[in-house]
Amino acid sequence: MNIKRLLPFILFISIIVLFWRGLGLHPNEIPSPLMNETVPQFHLPLLFNPAHSLSNQDFYGHITLLNIWATWCSVCAEEQDFLLQIAKQNDFYLYGLNYKDDPAQAKKWLAHYGNPYRLIGIDETGQVAIDWGVYGTPETFIIDQKGIIRYKHVGALTSNNWETELLPIIKKLQMEAK
Amino acid sequence: MIPQLGNFAIILALCFALIQCIAPLYGYAKQQRLYFQLSRTAAIGQFIFLAFSLVSLILCFLNNDMSVFYVQQHSHRLLPLLYRIGAAWGGHEGSLLLWCVILSGWTFVFILLSSLGNSFSISVLPPTQAIHDKIIIILGLISSGFIIFLFFTSNPFIRIFPLNGIIGEDLTPVLQDPGLIFHPPMLYLGYVGFSIGFAFAVAALWEGKIEKTWAKACKPWIILPWSFLSCGIVLGSWWAYRELGWGGWWFWDPVENASLLPWLAATALLHCLIVGEKRQVFYGWTLLLAIITFALSLIGTFLVRSGVLVSVHAFANDPTRGLFLLLYLAFLIGGALMLYGCRIHRFYQPPHFQLFSRETFLLINSVILLTAVVTILIGTLYPIILDALNLEKISVGEPYFNTVFVPIMLLLLLLMGAAPHVPWRTAHVHIFWNKIRTVFLISLFITFLMPFAYSKLFEFEYHPLAGIGIGISTWIILSTLKYAYQRWHSQSLPFLPASAMIVAHIGIAMTVLGITINQSYAQERQMKMSIGETVSLAGYTFTFMQLSKSSHANFETLLATFAVKKAHHSPTSLIAEQRIYRSHDQRFSKPGILTNGWRDLYLALGTSLPDGAWTVRIYYKPLVRWIWAGGFLLLISGFLSLMNYRHKQNNYHEH
Repeated sequence: MNIKRLLPFILFISIIVLFWRGLGLHPNEIPSPLMNETVPQFHLPLLFNPAHSLSNQDFYGHITLLNIWATWCSVCAEEQDFLLQIAKQNDFYLYGLNYKDDPAQAKKWLAHYGNPYRLIGIDETGQVAIDWGVYGTPETFIIDQKGIIRYKHVGALTSNNWETELLPIIKKLQMEAK
Repeated sequence: MIPQLGNFAIILALCFALIQCIAPLYGYAKQQRLYFQLSRTAAIGQFIFLAFSLVSLILCFLNNDMSVFYVQQHSHRLLPLLYRIGAAWGGHEGSLLLWCVILSGWTFVFILLSSLGNSFSISVLPPTQAIHDKIIIILGLISSGFIIFLFFTSNPFIRIFPLNGIIGEDLTPVLQDPGLIFHPPMLYLGYVGFSIGFAFAVAALWEGKIEKTWAKACKPWIILPWSFLSCGIVLGSWWAYRELGWGGWWFWDPVENASLLPWLAATALLHCLIVGEKRQVFYGWTLLLAIITFALSLIGTFLVRSGVLVSVHAFANDPTRGLFLLLYLAFLIGGALMLYGCRIHRFYQPPHFQLFSRETFLLINSVILLTAVVTILIGTLYPIILDALNLEKISVGEPYFNTVFVPIMLLLLLLMGAAPHVPWRTAHVHIFWNKIRTVFLISLFITFLMPFAYSKLFEFEYHPLAGIGIGISTWIILSTLKYAYQRWHSQSLPFLPASAMIVAHIGIAMTVLGITINQSYAQERQMKMSIGETVSLAGYTFTFMQLSKSSHANFETLLATFAVKKAHHSPTSLIAEQRIYRSHDQRFSKPGILTNGWRDLYLALGTSLPDGAWTVRIYYKPLVRWIWAGGFLLLISGFLSLMNYRHKQNNYHEH
């Protein structure tokens, strides 16, 4: 039989094998197109002090973790304990971006689950989150001292992915600074 | 009670699907026609029970039966009636049920039209008996697999007790739009409909030979789903434009690509079928395209439902579902391509046309379209490819697609204007050049003139590249109209059969023109506005008049009224909304849009600032409606082409 005639079949099977591999991978780790870009320009009122704002100016001079969360996101509630734990370390600033949420609800929610954040911006419509390329909640960005986005994690932070993925990056950024 | 009935109906439908597929095989062994008749009846029964099951699911939504887990997750007792119907296919399970209903629906219509065809006003040519039998078997096989998938991994009727005052999680606000009612069914009518074309191809390969009438019999079963898919894609794009709030209409999102890929392949296929019908050539290529078209539909389904890709459209991820779909995909399409590899040498036809002829143009057309398919497929799968090879992780976005897709399409569009003027079999370059010379030179002139005129007369920026898009759409429109004119006055050729092509090609040109103008001359402003303030954009002034509140069934809304005024005209009001859905306290910005067909003024509210002002985005979008108008012309062209079928059939019978 002529092998040329089976070319479509062979190509198709290689695509299938690719998908097979793809199923075992974690698509959520595909980084945002903003990777290694400066944080997008934005300006959001603060949750506990609406007269002041969280903006892209607040991302310079220190390592920052920006966590996207919402009260309607059940995974965020599960993640909160761990965020409280890591917030005790003084290696970075932890900011929150309250995504498509009601400020009153958000305050109640934080009173219940605890507030690990230094500053929280309220993004009621989700327009700023679009600029950040947010797919959903929770998501966590690592931003370096120069205000450049260096990593994005989709889904809840756990001690496991913290130790293996995020912490090494933070350590590396600290080394770079020295 | 209703959920149990719905569930039971799925089981019965599965039994019927298995009978549809297996009975004829028994019939071949026993040499009895009776089993083939049984198979057809089973196909009809399958459709009835699946439709019954879908109706049951809709009833569960209408009754707010929160014991059904799927209803609980996608409905809310405050959800308006219309969206409760749409919510039936707003999630993975329900949309898969719709998928199955539509598949069996196409089978039903196929059986109906093929056996009773001539008593209908729109008649189709039935395929030969042998092919017809095999098509039903193949459709039964496809259907059985999907019903098994539906029943065991994605059953929409799974119930959860106790209830404890559950009020439901509600449908995502973005889905609460009339678009939900029409867009998914239209899209599925398209995708799923290609199963018949696939069955035609596999049946021919199985049979090992192809009759002269094969292409003619197959053609309507590609054209009809193709028109629905065109319409579905357009509806989706329009919906995104109205709902997502940043004025975009195409995002090169993996799921959008998943609908575009089968459309491109089907476009190539239907042009090949035209050649097959008229000239009985390219059968090998046509059969391959028929398989590829359906394969791409299935790959789209897989990508959306397995969680392999990240997308705004993706359904909840579940690895078992992905695995099942993948295995089934491998079995169906792998099997078909294997059969293709083994049998295709029997279909070889010596080409009896010259290099410069309509046949060559249509062949090049399908090659270009397939190239476009491959480039989009690579762009969509590239992240998985790199990831699977343990290389870096990336996401491929708009820049890649625009750089690669646009030049390929420009080449195709250039040919599209020329092809109708090239006769079948053999053509002469100088006769062809005499025909198109004037039109070609006018278009070339416009290519350079328009960007210049636009910047001088309307004070827009100077975009010389926009001229290419404008020139090429002018070229298609003028050359198609010239062809229409000649055909209308032709003594030997009737006009009607050409009408579908004329409408479709002009539709594509309109879409291209809309895209070009919109990409080059759209304007936007983003700023802070308080009540009473006025800003101007593209010659219009926008004054923030007032804010008012209004209450609806399941949301509260804040209405921001703007007065829009063009110099020396009376003002019109434009209302943008900020909705708060009660079920989740989710906020959702619904843009206000003013249109007159030539341009859209689009205004979206952003966030409210502490001093009472709002961030506002305003867009001026020229000719954006033409993008979708062109798409609707494709739908019309599909129906025209069927009418034309009827015309030909009648002639055939009268002779």
